[in-house]
Amino acid sequence: MSRKGCLGCSFPVLITIVVVVLAVGVVSLLSGALGKAIVGDVGLPELFTVEAPHVQLPAEGIFHIGGFAVTNTLLASWITIVILAFFAWAVTHRIKVIPSRLQNLLEFALEWLLNFCIDVAGEKNGRRFFPVITTIFLFVIMNSWLSLVPGFGSITFTAIEHGETHVLPLLRGANTDINFTLALALISFVFVEYLGIREGGLRYFTKFINVRQFGRGVGQLLRGKVKSGFGGIFMGVIDMFVGVLEGIGEMMRIVSFTFRLFGNMLGGEILILMMLFLMPFLLAVPFYGLEMLVGAIQALIFGGLTLVFATMAVTQHEHEASESS
Amino acid sequence: MDKRLAALGLLGVGFFVAGSIILGVVGGRWLDTRFGSEPLWLIVGLLLGVVVAFYGVYTMLRPFLDNKQNKGNS
Repeated sequence: MSRKGCLGCSFPVLITIVVVVLAVGVVSLLSGALGKAIVGDVGLPELFTVEAPHVQLPAEGIFHIGGFAVTNTLLASWITIVILAFFAWAVTHRIKVIPSRLQNLLEFALEWLLNFCIDVAGEKNGRRFFPVITTIFLFVIMNSWLSLVPGFGSITFTAIEHGETHVLPLLRGANTDINFTLALALISFVFVEYLGIREGGLRYFTKFINVRQFGRGVGQLLRGKVKSGFGGIFMGVIDMFVGVLEGIGEMMRIVSFTFRLFGNMLGGEILILMMLFLMPFLLAVPFYGLEMLVGAIQALIFGGLTLVFATMAVTQHEHEASESS
Repeated sequence: MDKRLAALGLLGVGFFVAGSIILGVVGGRWLDTRFGSEPLWLIVGLLLGVVVAFYGVYTMLRPFLDNKQNKGNS
């Protein structure tokens, strides 16, 4: 191994890289808002100037099918679906015992997810929950990573609305639309409740409307045991209160699922926009890396939480059975 | 289920606290505008929300607390 060179590059290459990075840094400092505030406008060509970002919370409609507005986030989620479907097709239409590179990648990801499901929910339930959890995970992670691809937000079109012209991005990360995250949260919620009802039948609802203790107390009171009767009624009221609490908690899950994903993704998008505005080219790069990490974590949290709640819903009455015995 | 994975469920605790207090306050305000009894129901709703929030967090945390105690005793 030659001692000439550093970091695996020969010195001329290294020096070129350093010079290019420095040049990009200087240009980005001068063209961004940060540099303009420090050194003032140096009159760079139009190409390097960055406009102040325009942040908009609701998704923008692109065109209408009947009365149904197709927004840019919806378009992005369709692209995600197409890409995922294409991946699935490309891997499975010629599946081999000795996997190709693409098949290997997908097998690795799916195996990891399957092991995660089995770790949390156990062998039988893990395999049952795996399809839904994986769908949620892949959909969310693909949405958030796709929104980092060049073209998202930068390809624009001009729309005329109420006589005003707007320049709108054609594509926008689907996770930044609260309707999308709400839909996903509702899917996860319905999945969990369905499993609970299927597993426990009508007994599942005793979690929310718990009158057993109350009824027992009333029964004891009618039989003349005043002291233990009132005690039972008091405990019954507390039980009912806990049931209502359980219901509120369940409803609050939808809210927390929705806003966690929406907030994280929209925040990340705005963060990158702001960094691009402050210091284009260079400063945004580390934040792109950060956003990849955040996207993966949020997808894992969404899938993992659905999995944990589903496991809780399924194993709940098992606990009750073991407690009462 | 692994206890550490079960703790994932605690990610929603913050939302639960905020949500139940907000529900109480909004409900109290709504009752106030209906009956014109400001600020009685607002205060009642707020207190109820706080109680629900604390008790809910306590019930969510209990499995983890119990486990710790059992470990200490045995």
